[in-house]
Amino acid sequence: MLKHHPSSELLADYASGSMPLSHSLCIATHLEQCDICRQQAHKLNQLGAQFFMQQSSTATSADNDLKAKVMGCLDEIVFSTDESASDTPKRTAASNKVDSYKPPKALKQFLDDSYDSLEWTTVSPSFKITTLLKDKNGAQIALSRVKPGGKMPHHRHTADELTVVLEGSFSDEGGIYKKGDFICRDSKHKHKPVVTKDAECICLMVLDAPIEFTGWFTRVLNPLVRRNHAQS
Amino acid sequence: MKSAEVRQEEQLRFAEYMRAVAEQRDKRAFEKLFDHFVPLLRSFSLAAQPGASLLADEVAQEVMIKVWQKAHTYNKEMANVTTWIFTLARNSRIDYLRKNSRHESDIDPTNLWGEIVDENSDPFQAAQQKRSEELISKQLKGLPEDQQNALRKVYLEGKTHKQVAEELKLPLGTVKSRVRLALRKLAISIPR
Repeated sequence: MLKHHPSSELLADYASGSMPLSHSLCIATHLEQCDICRQQAHKLNQLGAQFFMQQSSTATSADNDLKAKVMGCLDEIVFSTDESASDTPKRTAASNKVDSYKPPKALKQFLDDSYDSLEWTTVSPSFKITTLLKDKNGAQIALSRVKPGGKMPHHRHTADELTVVLEGSFSDEGGIYKKGDFICRDSKHKHKPVVTKDAECICLMVLDAPIEFTGWFTRVLNPLVRRNHAQS
Repeated sequence: MKSAEVRQEEQLRFAEYMRAVAEQRDKRAFEKLFDHFVPLLRSFSLAAQPGASLLADEVAQEVMIKVWQKAHTYNKEMANVTTWIFTLARNSRIDYLRKNSRHESDIDPTNLWGEIVDENSDPFQAAQQKRSEELISKQLKGLPEDQQNALRKVYLEGKTHKQVAEELKLPLGTVKSRVRLALRKLAISIPR
């Protein structure tokens, strides 16, 4: 059973759709692994429905126009067949997948069936990172991949950071985090995560705030940048 | 405000209409759903985007077409019709908002909010979902107005806690604790 969950307020922001999509991405990834939070999210949908039906609403003439339009095109609309049919994973025997991981559905936009298909930047012998997206609102969505027993570079968060463990586990002063766990760290937090020795650890990380994040990101990449310079 | 019994009967009627749409493609039943939900859908859009009546039309149309298309995936054991339609409306709104300034984003929301489908319904879960529905609707009325108001802004207007705090000229912490207290009373909090 998972120990680290998003707070109920965060789940409410997810269920209402009021949080940035970058944060919803992390919540959705956690929900795929967590029955308890899925149930909470369902309750939060029920709560949303209560507010939805309490709204004051009066039928207007515009509704009739819209009705004529929608009713007029119903016959042309086919019942959508089971989406899972078109949705079947492209995982075939021919796929040259080396790991046995199954990336979350929430990340489908960024990777199909294997973390290896991504372009990873090696930051240190045990630590790799890849940026999935720099979003329009400045949020940075990245995956980190650390070898068994490896350390993540020390870092201080300059903005809020959401982390979801996708594979393996790591620990820091706050405890041990396993596959599916959700961690929200604020900018005051300084931590030294260490990956457990039994397996590598892949995490989804989402950081807000572009300028501050650049600071964090360059610091992570600093050793690499310096090394490249030294070689040239 | 409608009584619990009246609301339950209403939901049963909606579920019947859904069945008729799914099994017989019954346009009369669809019209009933249309008449009830379109004004609500319009209010829902206008709450987040005041004055944007074209957008409200688009969202209402999109949601009602989904109702027609996906009626067969609706399972009354999993959620009542209003909850189902609320989630469709929320998903449509998220998609529209990400395409304009409010939540502008390159993230595709399709895979982030699962539609309520008949994936693992069992009698226990069905009973549980019904119980929580009743509990939420009963307890909601007992919440202090300021807590209800904070939640209403989050859900209907799609505002973040920070935006709610700015609008109500309250410290962010106050808004957060109102939401937290409300959710706890509604038994929506994660045991730690």
